[in-house]
Amino acid sequence: MTLDIDVSATFTAEGADRFEVAADLSVADGETLVVLGPSGSGKSLLLETVAGFHDHEGRVALADRDLTGEPPEERGLGFVFQDYALFPHKTVRENVAFGGRYHDIRNPDDLLTEFGVADLADRYPPTLSGGESQRVALARALAVRPDAFLLDEPLSALDVPTRQTLREVLADVLADQTAMYVTHNRTTARAIADRVAVIRDGSIVQIGTPEEIFERPDSPFVARFTGANCLELADDALATPEGRLDFDGTDGLGTTGDDATHLAIRPEHVELNPEGPADADFSASVERAIQEDGRCLLALDVAGQRLDAYASSPPERDEVGISLPRERVTLLSA
Amino acid sequence: MSTDTETRTEGETTAPRATDSADESLVGGIGTGTALLAVVSVQLVAFAAAVGVGYPGAYAGFAVLSAGAIAAYRNRGAFGILSATLGTVLLVALGLPLLMMVARQNPDLVVEMAADPGVQQALYLSVYAPLLAAIVSVAFGVPLALVLARGFPGQELVESLVDLPLVVPHSVAGLAILFGFGEGGAFGGVQFTVPVIDFTFTFAVLQTMLGMVLAMTFVSAPFAVNAAREAFESVPTRVEWAARTLGANRFETFRRVTAPLAWRGVLTGGVLAWARAVSEFGAVAIVAYSVEFFYPLEGEISAQHAPVFIYNTYLSAGLEESGAVATLLLALSAVIFLLVRTVAYDDGGWP
Repeated sequence: MTLDIDVSATFTAEGADRFEVAADLSVADGETLVVLGPSGSGKSLLLETVAGFHDHEGRVALADRDLTGEPPEERGLGFVFQDYALFPHKTVRENVAFGGRYHDIRNPDDLLTEFGVADLADRYPPTLSGGESQRVALARALAVRPDAFLLDEPLSALDVPTRQTLREVLADVLADQTAMYVTHNRTTARAIADRVAVIRDGSIVQIGTPEEIFERPDSPFVARFTGANCLELADDALATPEGRLDFDGTDGLGTTGDDATHLAIRPEHVELNPEGPADADFSASVERAIQEDGRCLLALDVAGQRLDAYASSPPERDEVGISLPRERVTLLSA
Repeated sequence: MSTDTETRTEGETTAPRATDSADESLVGGIGTGTALLAVVSVQLVAFAAAVGVGYPGAYAGFAVLSAGAIAAYRNRGAFGILSATLGTVLLVALGLPLLMMVARQNPDLVVEMAADPGVQQALYLSVYAPLLAAIVSVAFGVPLALVLARGFPGQELVESLVDLPLVVPHSVAGLAILFGFGEGGAFGGVQFTVPVIDFTFTFAVLQTMLGMVLAMTFVSAPFAVNAAREAFESVPTRVEWAARTLGANRFETFRRVTAPLAWRGVLTGGVLAWARAVSEFGAVAIVAYSVEFFYPLEGEISAQHAPVFIYNTYLSAGLEESGAVATLLLALSAVIFLLVRTVAYDDGGWP
């Protein structure tokens, strides 16, 4: 079912300024919309507002049903929390069966088996690991057959191997569900999203397919937050001894070159000539080389600005040549 | 008699050290429980010896020095030794008078007092009336605690009002009850009639059970409210939200999630309120010096709250007799105190 959201809510915390969260977006039937944003951007508050935990203005609708005035228990939205929020005084099976008093639920034992935690049915949540807890929480949320899913950083509290396994489990679960998924982790976002909405200071700043968001950010903020290089163009900032990187704005880029202030390109698209600047756009000095799984992340200095790039192995020289393929570059105006 | 003493003594002396050594095994490989038992036994023997040779004051020095010695044995460093030593000075100041009072009683007189119907009635009243006050505090304190735990504008004002009885001198509290609910106050002298059974009840607080319970509630309610509020606040909001998204409305969420997770704190608050009411003197002495109530053995009788009774005995019969009654009340309080600890630390905090 389609989830239509057009809400604004104001929050006042003790000792903090008023914080306003506002969003106008729509999650299509069966779609997973990832809301991606840094800590404090209001993404969890937005999700909680949609769930009905906070007073808000505007409208939340599921298919044609207006949920605006409905309490959380009437909204038909499943919620998965970062810290699992299992009932500590109930066994795993009782947790999953909790909604049985109010809904026609799916068989708890079948669900637990489906998530590979059937052997934990009689245990209590405080004795479970993080991964086990989140599987139980997922089973519990699915049990009541919600019309749409809201997930608040469900993987953030998990260690890396568990997170990768559970990400696959989640991808399967969400494949045909309408879901809104909040995270600050761009890897998770790209892996799981049908569409991504980037949120900053309580407002959505860009929304699009993962491809659009990650390859064609429309602001320096989105570029940096999605892991792209973002270089300043102002005042010959990219002038190098080999010449000036010149964009005339005619290369089919996002913004015309005239008012562009920044240049964005993902590290994996930066072309590297380890032998030096010959045949490259300009030279860069290697500040740091970090060996990752199967590749090497280079932190480069280009005319005083930082540029990340990948190499198959650490370069032998301190100076490398780099080229920025025109079709991979996005020009931005701040 | 002596059993009561030991039970209470154990509570007094082990509790602070239990927190000190709860999660570490002691040097030397003996269990924590065994070590605690050994320390308590040594302290009791030392106290008995000091009393026996006629220098009970010597025990104070022993207790302080032995605390420092234990800290030294456990490699706590100079600062640890200093902390343990200074801390024990306070423990001695708190515990020694009680120990001495119990040790200096004439056992025959205590037994005689325990058999006295007047004493029994006073002690009965001192369990019964505080229990009513505790029930009232919890019954109305829990809803208030829930509201406070959820938070609302102007909350600080309400919190201050709840805590007010803690700073009001208790004789003043007694006067306030008389001014507020006594003759000429709100409800004072107002008659309520229950239509069907034609029962008429006149609202009066001076020298009545109602007045005694009101006075006790006034001084003990903050304990019930604050403990319950802390209990409700300790239930994570997200866990309650999870219940909501699974279909439970506010009441169902309270019934199936919040209450099961908070009942221990609420009960602790109730027992604390009870204990506080048992020990109340000032307000009760002013409002309900002597009250009529139903005593199961004899029917309708008139008696005094035990702290008031003890004060009277002290004035009329002297230190020795009042000390014997006080010891009985102390034993009663110790039972309630143990109850609090058992309820509050059921998850392994109590050895």
